[in-house]
Amino acid sequence: MVTTIDAKDIRKLVIACDAGMGSSVMLAGQLRKALKKQPVEVAHTPVDSIPPDADVVVCHRGLAERARRGAPDAVIVPFDVYIGDPAVNQVVAAIKDGGVLSV
Amino acid sequence: MATAYTTPPPPGDGFRARVQRMGGHLAGMVMPNIGAFIAWGLITALFIPTGWLPNKELAELGDPMIKILLPLLIGYTGGRMVHGQRGAVVGAVATIGLVAGADIPMFLGAMIIGPLAAYLMKLFDGLIEGRVRPGFEMLVDNFSAGILAAAMAIAGKVAIGPVVRTLTEAAGDGVGWLVDHDVLPLTSVLIEPAKVLFLNNAINHGVLGPLGVQQAAETGKSILFMLESNPGPGLGVLLAYTFFGPRRLRPSTPAAMIIHFFGGIHEIYFPYILMKPRMILAAIAGGATGVAIFLASGTGLVAAPSPGSIFAYLAQTPRGTGNWIGVYSGMLASIAVSFAVGAALLGFGRLAESRKEKDAPDGDATATAEDPENAGDGTTQQPAAR
Repeated sequence: MVTTIDAKDIRKLVIACDAGMGSSVMLAGQLRKALKKQPVEVAHTPVDSIPPDADVVVCHRGLAERARRGAPDAVIVPFDVYIGDPAVNQVVAAIKDGGVLSV
Repeated sequence: MATAYTTPPPPGDGFRARVQRMGGHLAGMVMPNIGAFIAWGLITALFIPTGWLPNKELAELGDPMIKILLPLLIGYTGGRMVHGQRGAVVGAVATIGLVAGADIPMFLGAMIIGPLAAYLMKLFDGLIEGRVRPGFEMLVDNFSAGILAAAMAIAGKVAIGPVVRTLTEAAGDGVGWLVDHDVLPLTSVLIEPAKVLFLNNAINHGVLGPLGVQQAAETGKSILFMLESNPGPGLGVLLAYTFFGPRRLRPSTPAAMIIHFFGGIHEIYFPYILMKPRMILAAIAGGATGVAIFLASGTGLVAAPSPGSIFAYLAQTPRGTGNWIGVYSGMLASIAVSFAVGAALLGFGRLAESRKEKDAPDGDATATAEDPENAGDGTTQQPAAR
């Protein structure tokens, strides 16, 4: 299980939810805005079809196990609440400021 | 973990993930096609004899859409999930075997035969990979898909179709029994907890939706569309948190309420229940109340409101004062009951205050440990168990 990644190696950030149509789109929109000036692609997908080139996957804790199975090479960042979750803020901060992202 | 700020711990987690994945597959065949379902719902609501603009000629659109187009889209999407475009094509052709001449919408059958045909295609493609003589790939690819698709269509027509029809009718009868015996509100006991375990799409689009569409095709409306999608219970829970929840959570609830009730993204309220699991009782009480009123008033929706937003509800409520009163009084009662029960479960705020010490640390301290905002506020950070 990959749990750390150097922030400058993050090229693709995937937000995953059950269907990839609802909450992940919402969160991806927010992160896209927050990371507009960063060289990071923000995508949203269903948790069962996370693309293999994803570096970091952000999903709700209740879906984390499925995400790990589908994306064994990515850092999975589970979060608990959809608005202002510290885990999500940590990802944004790491990408903006550099350093190592660990979960 | 004593602090209940995370999803309930591991026991059953693997099982839950399996159920989620299974449900995810079912919903994954339907959800990408929701636009087509809504188109059918709008056309039906407008042009059927009891609709807003009765029009016999335009109403003819409804029948082929629900009996042919929608099952085909499901079979196509199900096939694509299993084996890409080739899977999609054989899945669609196999589905036509079910729908040709069928007198009921073959959704459940399409969910079976579409992925099945694609799976067989995938097996065959794996078998011949690397063994086709150069230059003959296209010939082999096209004819293998064509032969398999034709065979599956025939199998669908003569063998699988009749079985699926029997199963579908049995499922419909089961739902009819639940409705006739007034026990439908009890389904909230299962549905509300399953929702917050992220089975919401699976339940609504994998199970209730296809049954509801069948009912709506016959009677113009179905209560099944409202069992899972009613935004009332979630709004009531969020309202209870706004007034009586732990103080540090209160500021986030207004935005959550807007996203939940107007945007229809129900996932937003699941964490608020997962962090205080007893709040599920509030959602169950609100859900059951709503269903009881929908049932008593004999109302329903014309198609699945997806997402479960108040706007989708407004668009899918059938014509007739009784329907409107039933739908919205049921929803309001759901909000009121789950708010009242939720407020009581939160001890009208007192509980939250007296437990302040216990509630303060975040459950997912692994994620927050390095967060500068949380670093110096005096709360003890506990490493998460997982």
